[in-house]
Amino acid sequence: MTPIAPSRQGRRLWTWLSVLLLTVLCLVWIYPFLWLVSASLKGPLEIFSKGLNLIPDALLWDNYARAWAAAGFSTYMLNTVVITCATVVLVVFHTSLTGYVLGRYDFIGRKVVIAILVATFIIPAGFAIIPIVDLTRALGLLNSRWGIVLALAGSGNAAAILLYAGFFGQLPRELAEAATVDGAGFFTIFFRIMLPLAGPVTATVSVLTFLAAWNSFLVPLVLTFGAPSQRTLAVGMLAFVGTNETDWPGMAAAATLSLVPVVAFFFIVQRFFVEGVAGAIKA
Amino acid sequence: MNNPMDRGAVSRRTVLAGMAAAAAAGTLPGRSLAQDAPTLQWWDHFQPIAPLFEEEWKTDTAVTVKHQVMNPSDMMQSLQLAFRSQQMPDVFSVPAPLAVVDQVAGAGWFGPPEGGFTLDKPFQKEALFEGLTNFGGKVYSFPLFTFRWHSTSLWYDKAKVERAGIDPAKGPQGWDDIRKVAKSATTGGAYGLLLPLQFTDRMQAHLNDLAQMAGAAGPIDWKTGKYDYASEHYVETLKMLLSLQKDGTLHPASSSMDARQGRIRWAAGEAAMFFDGPWNSGVMAGGMKDALAKTWVTPTPITSDNGHVHAGPLPGTFWISAQSKLNKQATELLNLFTTDEFYIKLAERMDQPPLSLDAVAQANVDPTYKAVIASYKDSVRLAPEPVIRNPDIGKVYAEMRTIDPSLGAIIQGAFSGAFDDPGPVLQQYSDQMSAERDRAIGVINSKGGKVSVDDWVFDNWSPDKDFTPDLYKR
Amino acid sequence: MTAAVAAKRQPTFAQRLWGDRWVYLFMLPTVLLVATYTLWPMLASIWFSLLDWSGFEQSGSFIGLGNYAELLHNRLFWNAFANTLIFMVVAVPIRVGLALFLALVLNAGLPFSRAFRTAIFLPVVTTAAILGVVMRFVLDPASGPLNEALLGLHLIDQPINFLGRAGLALYSAIGVWVWKWTGITVIYWTAALQTIPADLYDAARIDGADRWQRFVHVTLPLLTPFTIIITLITVVEATNVFDLMLTLTNGGPFYSSEVIDIFVYRNAFAANVPRLGYASAAALFFGVCVMVLAALQMAIVARMRRRTVEQ
Repeated sequence: MTPIAPSRQGRRLWTWLSVLLLTVLCLVWIYPFLWLVSASLKGPLEIFSKGLNLIPDALLWDNYARAWAAAGFSTYMLNTVVITCATVVLVVFHTSLTGYVLGRYDFIGRKVVIAILVATFIIPAGFAIIPIVDLTRALGLLNSRWGIVLALAGSGNAAAILLYAGFFGQLPRELAEAATVDGAGFFTIFFRIMLPLAGPVTATVSVLTFLAAWNSFLVPLVLTFGAPSQRTLAVGMLAFVGTNETDWPGMAAAATLSLVPVVAFFFIVQRFFVEGVAGAIKA
Repeated sequence: MNNPMDRGAVSRRTVLAGMAAAAAAGTLPGRSLAQDAPTLQWWDHFQPIAPLFEEEWKTDTAVTVKHQVMNPSDMMQSLQLAFRSQQMPDVFSVPAPLAVVDQVAGAGWFGPPEGGFTLDKPFQKEALFEGLTNFGGKVYSFPLFTFRWHSTSLWYDKAKVERAGIDPAKGPQGWDDIRKVAKSATTGGAYGLLLPLQFTDRMQAHLNDLAQMAGAAGPIDWKTGKYDYASEHYVETLKMLLSLQKDGTLHPASSSMDARQGRIRWAAGEAAMFFDGPWNSGVMAGGMKDALAKTWVTPTPITSDNGHVHAGPLPGTFWISAQSKLNKQATELLNLFTTDEFYIKLAERMDQPPLSLDAVAQANVDPTYKAVIASYKDSVRLAPEPVIRNPDIGKVYAEMRTIDPSLGAIIQGAFSGAFDDPGPVLQQYSDQMSAERDRAIGVINSKGGKVSVDDWVFDNWSPDKDFTPDLYKR
Repeated sequence: MTAAVAAKRQPTFAQRLWGDRWVYLFMLPTVLLVATYTLWPMLASIWFSLLDWSGFEQSGSFIGLGNYAELLHNRLFWNAFANTLIFMVVAVPIRVGLALFLALVLNAGLPFSRAFRTAIFLPVVTTAAILGVVMRFVLDPASGPLNEALLGLHLIDQPINFLGRAGLALYSAIGVWVWKWTGITVIYWTAALQTIPADLYDAARIDGADRWQRFVHVTLPLLTPFTIIITLITVVEATNVFDLMLTLTNGGPFYSSEVIDIFVYRNAFAANVPRLGYASAAALFFGVCVMVLAALQMAIVARMRRRTVEQ
């Protein structure tokens, strides 16, 4: 045997050993999800008696029907989708507009705006929840989905604005000038030329906002105390756990239901997710 | 705090709220929309008896009720915001201690019923008190439930108790029996006792009840007006509970369970015994019939010569909002809840017992429920309530801040190993409560109130007798 | 830089404002949103923190710094403060370090890297409130799968009460938090690693550097600015663990895992008599501490950046 051969073989062995170890790690990593799906198909007492065993005695699809209809998870799902989509649209709309002017124009007050944005960047979330509840009440938006959307879209978007500003700032001047010559106005230039160019940034912002809005908890929790029908999945889940005395499989089914869309969405737009998140860190 | 406050805290959580049901209800179109019947908003936290209420309301066609069953833990927050934005429901319950009831009454939340309630039977009249149901001499509300109950009966698996050599028809009596059963039942992944330690309010109620069964005067000793938490009975009772953990017979997941999770796992056979109130019959009859058949109950698990659970009179259950434009209709709806037939139906839900205990005897209920309710005649005594004698005490209650850690949290702490000896911690809690009461009295007196610590002293109170309304007059 | 600057004659202040009217119109949505939902709540918090306000009343009464005085003497506030700091100090390095390790492994061109990355990313996209509930089952001492596995492998002979022991609950929560969020940090690191030009490694390899040497002398120095940004992001995230903690331990047992968010929530929303002023003071006090910490970090980032540029 030559000294090279074992080394190559050794490397290959090493590779497959790593893959094996990683596989085991990943199985452990996602075990809670497997457990959840399995629990959602078990009987109420089976959950506690099976230990590590993931295979249910019989597949009880009924748990899903119960969670979906009786426990109102269809409503929660609708609320969450509406709130998340509306938040993403609103955030992309207002941060791209502001990012555009901050990146491309010098105007009175620009430095102040940037300073304030940077300052808000480091405010811990949930820090001013009490006035936000009071404000929402004063606006008459308590227990409505729009109150939640505004609260989610109105805070914590400094990073998105700065991303857009950075992107628009480095676009060549000639683009807008050519369009101006063609007689395009301020609005047309932005919506027809600039925003479409900013596709990658929009993807990043959408992805991050989607993640934040879908998972948001404190804001929808405190803004829907009085209106169970406006709850989101996350809040509804807590209520479900706090209410239904015995229905653990129903709980697991509800949790699975609420995870499926976001996991599916993640798989579909996985590339954007990764690039979007990575885009944020590189910028 | 005094007894009614503790009990308020207990009942509001026990009578669980139905978020899920409410959410479903919220999405359904209102039923039988009579064209011109106005819609009345009704919020409460009595999920298990909600169907009964809704059934009763159908008999009143003058109004359509939009019923929202809420979670007691965030219902006060909703009411608070609704009040500040002029969107109060027409009728609501207040899932909070007497202190809060008095505070929101002072803030102008409640309106008096137009035309008044039909409360003509003696036991109904006896349940009305200034500062609890009446304000300024006017009746604003009435209790739906009796004060005569507690939440600490010992529910057990008959077979496991028999295996420990104890008559399953009588059940464990006292700590020695409980420990014996617990030891014999701890085998093969099953344990002796399960406690809902995560649910601190319930643990507080259990400790209060058990200590009083052993002979403690209660959270307040009405002979002296002093807080009694550091007394021998309280410390001993907590140590007895802890001894089960030391024996290794306490279900190890107790620390992360509330009453509902605890109940299902006890019923699944993971533990032999479980402390719970009378509603356990109702919950089990609903979804755990098989387990209920194997279950019996010791209504008063700790027996002593002079042990009684002392329960103060209850504040009103439902209140009409001062902002309501449908006061008359609300009053009519509430009057549906004052009849003998209603009390029987309420008993048949097997939840917190109705104002008339006789109704339970006539009702078609599980024998465990009957046994537990029947025992209250011997084991529960009506305690005095200082606010009835001096309305300014309501303001003191409102001024008093919560002491953290609370009694329930201290119990949880003892089990989690946060400290070794509960005695000094209970003493500290007792001292903090006294100091806070003194401070609150000072604040109220400085604003023109007339309160003294002696207002908590009732010389003519005897621990084994009901403190009836006539005794206040002396 | 702008059309206005390009103009020959120096325009007046008003002319400049009018000339840029589109600019202001574009900013209007953001200004409105940020003013109402970020700036106003901040100012209101400061005002609220000076009030004794039970929440049942329409408004509170002014008590100056009374809430702060009470706060500084509240052991439970300092307990929550300390728990939050412990959380940060323990969880952030673990998450950042573990993620770097995983990113390096997954970046090494192993088969199925993408599938592994997806698996590790899965908890990130799932709702923390739901994971909190699920993990309570997984960590259950009586029949939870984790204890069953540890017992089965004979690593322990008594079940561990992960969430029920006062000394352990906070660390169990840290473990769950790291598990939930490491995936996103892996992505950050992957992005950072991709900025390192491959020819640098080739050069190092030619110089005879082995794997470890290449990591220490090439990868690490180039990652420094990213390390600081990633740490900063992670620190800020570590102060916002409300949803996970509420569903996992609710701050218990006996306040042993109560972080600031839970303390504020308990006083403002979960108490029998909500104390809005007191809770605002706690939130504000802690918020200021975090901002100071973050500002310090950002200052360091700026300095590091400058130094990198100078090199």
